[in-house]
Amino acid sequence: MSQSELAPLDPAKGVWDEHELTRRKFLEITFWSVTSVVTVGLLGAGSRFIAGNSFEPSTTSWVTLGPVAELTAGEVHRVNYSFKAKDAWRMVEQKGALYTFSDDAGATYTVLDGTCTHLGCIVQWQGGDNNYQCPCHQAVFTREGKVVSGPPPRPLRKLDAKIQDGILMAQI
Amino acid sequence: MSKVGRWIDERTGLGGPVRSFLNYAVPGYVHKNALYMLGGLTLIIFALQAFTGILLAFFYDPSTEGAYNSVDFITYTLPLGWLIRGIHHYGASAMVILTALHMLRTYFFSAYKKPREINWLTGVLLLFLTLAFGFTGYLLPWDQKGYWATNVGTRIAGSVPLIGDALMQLMRGGANLGQATLTRFFATHVLLLPATLALLIAVHIFQLRYHGMSPAITEKGKKEGGKFVPFFPYWVVNDAIAGLGMLAILIFLSATQRAPLEFPADPASSNFVPRPEWYFLFYYQMLKYFPGGLEPVATVLIPLFIFGSMVLLPFIDKGEERRPWKKPVTTIAAVFYIVVIVVFTALAL
Ligand code: HEM
Ligand code: FES
Repeated sequence: MSQSELAPLDPAKGVWDEHELTRRKFLEITFWSVTSVVTVGLLGAGSRFIAGNSFEPSTTSWVTLGPVAELTAGEVHRVNYSFKAKDAWRMVEQKGALYTFSDDAGATYTVLDGTCTHLGCIVQWQGGDNNYQCPCHQAVFTREGKVVSGPPPRPLRKLDAKIQDGILMAQI
Repeated sequence: MSKVGRWIDERTGLGGPVRSFLNYAVPGYVHKNALYMLGGLTLIIFALQAFTGILLAFFYDPSTEGAYNSVDFITYTLPLGWLIRGIHHYGASAMVILTALHMLRTYFFSAYKKPREINWLTGVLLLFLTLAFGFTGYLLPWDQKGYWATNVGTRIAGSVPLIGDALMQLMRGGANLGQATLTRFFATHVLLLPATLALLIAVHIFQLRYHGMSPAITEKGKKEGGKFVPFFPYWVVNDAIAGLGMLAILIFLSATQRAPLEFPADPASSNFVPRPEWYFLFYYQMLKYFPGGLEPVATVLIPLFIFGSMVLLPFIDKGEERRPWKKPVTTIAAVFYIVVIVVFTALAL
């Protein structure tokens, strides 16, 4: 079959081995099948490998935000937290900032994640305007985190909070 | 051929191919028109980026703890660090500009038409890969700018309906920005993208040689089409001179304005306003016009439409006409995009 596709060799050099060539089609099909299977396998394993544990849900943990005595009721406070956490394969000091306020004289606190629900810029509390404003696309949120204007699709995320021995804690 | 040349040729067989590559006949309308130098200049800047990038990798530390300090060290302490990082930093912008200009040249000269479709399609991929270089490189110093721009950038991917979350987590290597993100951006920037880009450039340039340059579009150019000069040294010298000029500009910029480095990345800072690199600003600006539920229009539909129309262009615009002033549809479309990009960029500045 495929002999015809092969240009004749220079007679001084030799001739195609006709006997071997009868197996040509078989070898071709086998070669391409095995190569395809191995390629697909490598690409599949490679993709799985690259995905790694990207899809693992981020672990939650309780972080301390500070003594309630310092968090005057009625006002909005910006609190930083920091805790030891695993980042991929290393232990790091995980940091972040939250907003918190109490409307019942310090009995309970509302804790809001300042991450804008639009594209993740950090919103800023504007005491004068009594709202949070996002510097990125000018979104405005109420003190309680509801969207007033701008592109964000959802209110600011509210975190579970508790007071333990006079210390405000939140679950991030 | 010199004795040494002959010795090498007898052992490698490279003499013939190299000679025919260098002696390639370049038509007069190409050799005499500076616009045709843009592709070669893009190639030169890519080579410069590869060179300076390899050098930077000797000192860069791809860890969230060490990245910032290593870049600070390169920029302010290391002998000639300012130069190598400077060229790489400003060169990135130059590469985006040159790639875009080169694309406009081939677009307005209808160089994408049959039989050069693959030439154009590899070009489209090269453009997007060049932008991917910019996006991944920006994060590597792990400073405020890169950290927050990547935070926002990956979240834009996250707002794609249905697959957004998965996409964002794949880009980040997890739910949040962290070491996994930096490592995969680093691997993409220094291994995956350069290898892919180099391969695509090889295909791109082979296509070019196989088809020859697309025909001249002016009467004057057509007249010059019958006269040829060898690629080397005529065309090469033009590009080399332009390349030297570009290198001089990059060195000048590096010397007068050190490549920027902001404060170290701080996930707890609330007063840092994320801004992408200037060539993404128009897109960032556009997002403002699609609030809430309309967001996927800006994050999915428009990019898909632009990419799709670029891919389909050579299969839709199949007529013989190549003169942009006789092809109002393609010309107006391009002018529209250019105006939008310029205006949006200006608004975001
Ligand atoms: C890394 C990026 C790129 C490199 C290194 C590169 C390199 C080159 C070179 C050296 C040429 C010949 C000289 C010239 O026409 O200027 C060329 C031609 C061409 N390029 Fe590119 N290019 C790149 C990106 C692109 C992009 C983004 C497009 C379009 C989407 C594109 C489309 C074309 C076409 C259609 C031609 C043929 C021109 C003709 O026949 O007249 N290239 N490229
Ligand atoms: S990120 Fe806050 S409005 Fe866009």
